[in-house]
Amino acid sequence: MNAPLGVLGWLGLRLAFTLCLLMGLLASPGLAQQRDSIPGVSLGLVYENQPQPALAIQPFTGRFGGAGLVDEVEVIIGRDLRNSDRFEVLDSLPPALVGNVVDYALWDRLGAVWLITGQVEGTGEGYVLILELHDVVYGQSVERGRFRIPAEADGDFRMAVHRASDELVRWATGDPGMAASRIAFTMTDNEGNKDIYVIDSDGENLDRITNYRDLTLSPAWSPDGNKVAFTSYKSGLPRIYELDLRTGDEKMLPEVRGGGDYITPTYHPDGTTLAFSVTGNARSGVFTYNVERDCCLVFLSGGRWYDLSPTYSPDGRWMAFNTNRFGDAVPQIMLMPAQGGDAETLSPYEYGGRGYFTAPDWSPVGDMVAFHGSIQRGTYHILVASVSNDGRRLNQLTWEGNNEDPSWAPDGRHLAFVGERRWGFGLFVVDVATGRLRPLLAGRRVGLPDWSSAFSTER
Amino acid sequence: MIVRRFFIAVTAATLVVGSCGGDPPPPPPAPPGPDMDSLRAYQDSVQEAEEEARRVAAEEAALRAEEAARQRAIAAAGSTLAEMVFFDYDMSEIRDDAASALRAKVDILRASPQVQLRIEGHADDRGSTEYNLALGNRRASAMQDFLTGFGLSESRFSIVSFGEERPLESGSDESAWSRNRRGEFVITAGANAINPGN
Repeated sequence: MNAPLGVLGWLGLRLAFTLCLLMGLLASPGLAQQRDSIPGVSLGLVYENQPQPALAIQPFTGRFGGAGLVDEVEVIIGRDLRNSDRFEVLDSLPPALVGNVVDYALWDRLGAVWLITGQVEGTGEGYVLILELHDVVYGQSVERGRFRIPAEADGDFRMAVHRASDELVRWATGDPGMAASRIAFTMTDNEGNKDIYVIDSDGENLDRITNYRDLTLSPAWSPDGNKVAFTSYKSGLPRIYELDLRTGDEKMLPEVRGGGDYITPTYHPDGTTLAFSVTGNARSGVFTYNVERDCCLVFLSGGRWYDLSPTYSPDGRWMAFNTNRFGDAVPQIMLMPAQGGDAETLSPYEYGGRGYFTAPDWSPVGDMVAFHGSIQRGTYHILVASVSNDGRRLNQLTWEGNNEDPSWAPDGRHLAFVGERRWGFGLFVVDVATGRLRPLLAGRRVGLPDWSSAFSTER
Repeated sequence: MIVRRFFIAVTAATLVVGSCGGDPPPPPPAPPGPDMDSLRAYQDSVQEAEEEARRVAAEEAALRAEEAARQRAIAAAGSTLAEMVFFDYDMSEIRDDAASALRAKVDILRASPQVQLRIEGHADDRGSTEYNLALGNRRASAMQDFLTGFGLSESRFSIVSFGEERPLESGSDESAWSRNRRGEFVITAGANAINPGN
């Protein structure tokens, strides 16, 4: 990437800002809302106060039969870039601006910092999308790429366009995007049964992937996005299953005959190991199982208390989990080495607060762990703690209703969660940096979202 | 029986009369009054039979009553085994009322060694879905510990949590929540071998 100085400067500012956020130093009045009730821990909301760079999308063109697809591709990309929460997106521009010639002076007058031009070409078999990112301030092209897009009827059509959107984000910011990803979650039917559904990051393509009409909970994506593990009561008792989305094959992991509830599965980032919790057995706590070799149950932590909801750090060396080892009614988040060992508290229990903190999810790109908790009894909000910060500062991301079960997007910047509002339940997405909130699927009784990794290559 | 005895008596009298040949018939003797002894015997036997019947009927009734009472006791014991217990918000501690309900199960389980129970833990819908699975299991486990604390073998119990997934009452108020934070008991073996005990 050949980034001009202006962009570097802007990136630098943003980096400095992020550092402030991580160090918990930034608490300028009006920015950080202090609603602190945990001794030793400040609870606040730090929003990025930099104006976001304006990004314009010059209406795409089409040729060799690609014209029919232009509008749809442009709409998907425009929405993805808005959802990235990294730009002020200028689109719906006058048709006069259509064309393959770029008038940098005009875009500069319109306030754009970035400009995207695009062309859809028919290839006889699907299409090629040619995208180009321009730095308007310096009046030059920064990056250009070609993306294979299958025919509209192909199941991968939208995902292929999302992958192109994520490349645009990477070109402009150097950071990963999250458009090419899906979110798995539970939805409850009228009989109170739950099945697993998936939906694209932009709220399209709602698919049902299990149909047991029983209790099926806690979906977890494999890192390659090909499998989903979950707990189901379909045999009468809670057991963990892995479903291969390509073949529809399903198997119980591990194969269990004895007692104990097998719950809250999660994959190791290398995809070979599944970590989960067994409760009510002679030995309760976190276990791992090698799914690649279909063997080897290993006990990590637990005992008379229960450790549950494990989640791996991106390097796979650490694990955060939920525990009730401090007693009833005060579940806390703890960290330990991924092979087991001494655990330390991440949630603010040790600082004199008690509180109720559950449902941890470790960011796929950094040292942040999101969870939900209640400081005021009975009201739950999405919180983010920095691992390097000993949980002394929690960022609170929601302030309305009840909010549970956050799951990080592959960009490490967005979280999906379940929100309960006066009008009902819904899946929401919040941008940790700006606090911007967007409903993904509203008015349905949804639960336990798990955001996939980026579907960065064709599978 | 009565009819037959009378018939025998009359037949005997006729035979005596018939043996007199052509002589003018003597004035017929006064028909013999029933023999007092046989009458008494007859009456006694009737009474005996009636008493016997009454005794048998009473015995049968007593047996029936006893069986009905036993069935009632078995049904009551079944209800006692199945009686739910309730928990405080977010707690797995056995409350006093729950302890009484569990204690009542102990005697029946002791007297009915074939009976096995599945203990189901439930939570109300506040708090986390996954944590509530653990909370429900902790409740089930606490109930099992209470029962095994009385010397009952752990092998007679299995536990499972349904978290907040299977509420007894819908509704988002304390009256619904307090009914949903509960333990349920399902007889998984020996349902026809419940001995209500003494």
